[in-house]
Amino acid sequence: MSHNSIVENLKKEIENFSLQLKVEKVGQVMEVFDGIAKVSGLSDIKSSEMVTFSAGQIGVALNLEEDAVGIIILGDFSKIKEGDEVKATGKILEIPVSDNILGRVVNAMGAPIDGKGIIKANLSKDSGPSAYPIEKVAPGVVTRQSVDQPVSTGIKAIDSIIPVGRGQRELIIGDRQTGKTAIAIDAILNQKGQNMICVYVSIGQKDSKLRKLEARLEAGGAMAYTVIVSAGASEPAAMSYVAPYAGVSVAEYFMDQGKDVLIIYDDLSKHAVAYREISLLLRRPPGREAYPGDVFYLHSRLLERACRRNAKYGGGSITAFPIIETQAGDISAYIPTNVISITDGQIFLETDLFYKGIRPAVNVGSSVSRVGSAAQIKAMKKVAGTLKLDLAQFRELEAFSQFGSDLDDSTKRQLERGKRSVEILKQLQYAPVKIEHQVVTFYALTKGFMDDVPVEKIKEFEAGLIEYSERYAKIFYKEIQDTKMWTDKGEEQLKKAIADFKSSFAK
Amino acid sequence: MKTLTNNAIAQAIHALSKDKSHSEQADISKKIVQFLFRRRFLSKAPDILLQLRNIINKKEDRIIVKISSAEKLSEKTKTHLEQALKKRYSAKEVILDENINQKLLGGIKIEVNNEVIDLSIKNKIEKLQEYLIKSV
Repeated sequence: MSHNSIVENLKKEIENFSLQLKVEKVGQVMEVFDGIAKVSGLSDIKSSEMVTFSAGQIGVALNLEEDAVGIIILGDFSKIKEGDEVKATGKILEIPVSDNILGRVVNAMGAPIDGKGIIKANLSKDSGPSAYPIEKVAPGVVTRQSVDQPVSTGIKAIDSIIPVGRGQRELIIGDRQTGKTAIAIDAILNQKGQNMICVYVSIGQKDSKLRKLEARLEAGGAMAYTVIVSAGASEPAAMSYVAPYAGVSVAEYFMDQGKDVLIIYDDLSKHAVAYREISLLLRRPPGREAYPGDVFYLHSRLLERACRRNAKYGGGSITAFPIIETQAGDISAYIPTNVISITDGQIFLETDLFYKGIRPAVNVGSSVSRVGSAAQIKAMKKVAGTLKLDLAQFRELEAFSQFGSDLDDSTKRQLERGKRSVEILKQLQYAPVKIEHQVVTFYALTKGFMDDVPVEKIKEFEAGLIEYSERYAKIFYKEIQDTKMWTDKGEEQLKKAIADFKSSFAK
Repeated sequence: MKTLTNNAIAQAIHALSKDKSHSEQADISKKIVQFLFRRRFLSKAPDILLQLRNIINKKEDRIIVKISSAEKLSEKTKTHLEQALKKRYSAKEVILDENINQKLLGGIKIEVNNEVIDLSIKNKIEKLQEYLIKSV
């Protein structure tokens, strides 16, 4: 580009510029501390309105008092001085959105932090607004539809026993180091080709962990349909407080295009802690565990925005996987009980199981899914029903098995079946299993084909069976893919394939 | 105990002293100072006075307008401004508080209570800068 054309362009831009005069509401900073500013003036400000400081930072008005406004500062507050001018914007805080945000890592304000340059706005005007407010009332009753489409997580224990549907809110809860994030990442990795956009909200996590996670998703080809919204541990609590709302706004942007979205909040315990910090600094009265009175509403209004909308209102869905970290397995603490009661079920992860080698360490007894079974595919429902029963009986009898030999045959059979079921539900990290493979495995298990395979050889048998059946039970696979259920013809073929494979496996 | 805000004190002072004769006024003033001293509010006196002034101005439909400009304004502009401001804020009286600020480069900046109408060249340049950066 020559110098002349640059000047010409600039001239044109300046000609296009028109200054809109408007009256601005301003206030003065009275005090600043720990990410909070007390501001005088700003008489007509609304609650959670966005304000700008003269140094360029953005703030959100949270406390409206008689002669002052309590504002949380999103960003570096060290440059804000007493007496600085604060301008009200008349808008609720919003986050820029566009299709180009896919594959990017952004902070709670929607600014890119992955060093890949700016995120361009949508060029065409008809692709909806370019910014979404972070606080929005959840879709109403008439716009909703019941959950009837499955989310395939690729994790056998979840897809079979605790199925999740599109639009559901399923809590992942457990102690530190029990594989909560691993489940979320596996679920994202498995969404490839499933017509799902994923949003991962990282709240108060170590940046190193985020980096690793991003690399993992990149390697698995999952970043193409994933957005990461991050408020790191080193950022102010206000950013952590805003991050999940920003994340769900990004999700809503895609839902408004009729797409299905999966959003993961990792984790909401840290979000509650950040909100507690802000509330205490704003001098709101503390309640149980020093959390403020509205900590339930904090999470309920966030999770209520997960929904499945009916076609009349544009369709699309947001499935939420909030994560809660418990302390020493205490699920009766304040935040865990709150979020358990808000969500449509929970996946319990236990340290004991984890160290016993049962990974993912899902406690299938206490995990539930309240709406997902309606969304499960028919074939899976058929095999998983028996599996659930087998496992329940196994848990009951497990205590008995300690006494050893004098058990009757049927008890022994149930115990053996249970052991194999537990073995089958074990799964390596980053190795999601396709739904049709899961059906074949569970079919073989629940119909008793694995009862005489030694427990330590079950994994080997499973892998071999999948490979073999894919070659020799094509009708069965086709039926599952097309109609989500098998017919007698396909079943016959699969039975034969399993029997053939077994005889060759024994040798 | 709920602490008294400066505004509440100013309101009370205003309510006490309005429609009172000169002699009564002196007595009340003395009592007010004693009260402020007793409750250790004397350090807040400047702010309370400011609030009181605001209350009285509001009651009497008077507005104080802070006008900043790069150069001294002519009498004609000032009367013109006064008329416009009276209309806008439906005030009976407008008190102009003039300031000279070279940094504005040109134009004027009007501040009334919490509202700012910025017509300065400086503001225009800043807005233009924002616009040019954003449109890239």
